[in-house]
Amino acid sequence: MSPIKILLVDDEELIIRLLSMSLQSDGYQTVSAFSGEKGLEVFKAEAPDIVITDIKMPGMDGLTLLKKIKEIDPDREVIIVTGHGDVDSTIMALQYGASDFINKPVRDAALAIAIERAKSKIAIRKKLEEYTINLEKKIAEATEEIRRKSDFQRLLIRSSNDAIVAFDSEWKVVVYNPEAARLFGEAAKDVLNKLTIDELYTTKIATVFKKQVALETDQRNYPWKEQVIHTKDGRQIPVRYASNVLFENNEFVGTVNFFQDLTEIKRLEAELVRSERMAAVGQTVSGLAHYVKNILIGLKGGSYIVDVGLQRNNTEKLRSGWETIKRNIKRIGDLTQDLLTYSKQREPELENCSPHDIIHELLELLREFAESKNISISMEADNSIGWIKADPKTIHHSLLNIINNAIDACIEDENISKQHEVKIRTFVDQDHMICFEVADNGCGMDEETRNKLFTPMFSSKGGKGTGLGLLVTEKLIEEHKGFIEIETSPGAGSLFRVRLPYEKPDEVGGMEQGA
Amino acid sequence: MSKKVLVVDDDPDVRSFIVTVLEENLYIPVIAQDGVEGLEKIEKENPDLVILDVLMPRGSGIRLYHHLKTDDRFSQLPIIMFTGISLRSFLKSQKVLDEFKGAKVPEPDIYLEKPVDPEVLAEAVRKKLG
Repeated sequence: MSPIKILLVDDEELIIRLLSMSLQSDGYQTVSAFSGEKGLEVFKAEAPDIVITDIKMPGMDGLTLLKKIKEIDPDREVIIVTGHGDVDSTIMALQYGASDFINKPVRDAALAIAIERAKSKIAIRKKLEEYTINLEKKIAEATEEIRRKSDFQRLLIRSSNDAIVAFDSEWKVVVYNPEAARLFGEAAKDVLNKLTIDELYTTKIATVFKKQVALETDQRNYPWKEQVIHTKDGRQIPVRYASNVLFENNEFVGTVNFFQDLTEIKRLEAELVRSERMAAVGQTVSGLAHYVKNILIGLKGGSYIVDVGLQRNNTEKLRSGWETIKRNIKRIGDLTQDLLTYSKQREPELENCSPHDIIHELLELLREFAESKNISISMEADNSIGWIKADPKTIHHSLLNIINNAIDACIEDENISKQHEVKIRTFVDQDHMICFEVADNGCGMDEETRNKLFTPMFSSKGGKGTGLGLLVTEKLIEEHKGFIEIETSPGAGSLFRVRLPYEKPDEVGGMEQGA
Repeated sequence: MSKKVLVVDDDPDVRSFIVTVLEENLYIPVIAQDGVEGLEKIEKENPDLVILDVLMPRGSGIRLYHHLKTDDRFSQLPIIMFTGISLRSFLKSQKVLDEFKGAKVPEPDIYLEKPVDPEVLAEAVRKKLG
């Protein structure tokens, strides 16, 4: 640090010389002037740290110099040298801002004290200045940091793919990002700090959010919900939204809502459903075409045989051809019936009926064919089940389909050394459901076949199945509030269990309806 | 002297159609309901031609074809495939059997996909039997 520079101003040269010598020996640098005017010039040129000036000088006196210096730099230390008892000048000098006074004749000790005081004032001021500068710098840095952070947050909110809307405690919009503007169709400038929640949202949604605040006492996340927004310009936008109620020191300060536009997702979902449906339709149509082709083959073959019978006048051929045609007409009828049953919602027609009678009827129908294939059919009935209230068509159709399948599974079985059998059993289970079990020891199913059982038009029977049988059966049973269960193992056989609600028959006058 | 033709098909409608076509063209039809019965009838009746369905219970059409082509006694017996499945699927099934049995069988020379006109069937039979 450079030595302190002191300017000495006095019209008496001797005094200046003496003072200079004394000060220099104390390590100060001195400059001097012999008049007030000169003093001001030197002050301007040398910028001393301290000025010591006599008051009484010809021309510009010490007070004037003090005034001028203070005009240039109010902080500069100026020590005034006064004559003994010159009270008026001293008071004036104080008013002008002199830092100290020394009486004439100037004694070294007094001078040293005055200079020390001036020096410590300079030091304090310098420190203060440093502090101030430092503080300003720190404030500038902090401000910059805050600005950066808030810019970043603003950017985050701006660039969010979610629409973000926040309200203050008065429900005025305070955050409204571009995605929100896109979603609600109103420009930020017309919304921010202008609209309230009731003006931005439809009443219904506004009410939902307001209620939330009334209910909640603590800040927390709400699960995402879905809703359709009706915008002011008449668009309907499906959204997912979440809402947070904001509290600061337990005080409600506002709410923030997040919206995700689901339009695109919904569109893709719909497209997926449509394409899956198209694929299902394709599969259905090709399965159907295959089956219809088989019927057509039967009809063509039959009509050819009839033609031959007519030409040859051969009754045997006529009968055979006609049987073929009738059989295939029945297949068309059955197919149409299945398609209609499958495609239409149908309420079960409940009436009093005897399930065992229905099973016996079915067995009459199927036994001859089964026996021709060397398959035995047996029945184990729970005789506690008498009449029940159910839809006999459901029972008939379902069991016919399942027993037919069981017979086919036996025919299809590669193990021809097995004595094939189909066992039918009825019982009431612990859930008070009436159960129909059809078990066969035929070919069984692998997992792939098992998984495709209820796929439309899937058939494991080549062209001989419509691929609708089990589907229709399942539908009928579901409409009857029942269940269908399957246990199967390749090579060992399958068990189909149909469970229907066990309802007692109506007591009054219904007994004769069922049979 | 009329030639004997064995019809192997599990569908009674198809059987009676083929039988009628054969009778109309003065062949003697013999019938079997599946591959197993088919082989029995071939051994017993010694037919001049077999009309064979592919899809029958227990995969017996596919097996019977492969069996006949690999059995020295019957490898020259003419066969007409008469079926609802495509030739491609049938050949695939034969390839599987080839690998399984370690013997390669030739493709069928006549493969008719249902539905088949009576004239086309008669023509195919004539071609084989003269």
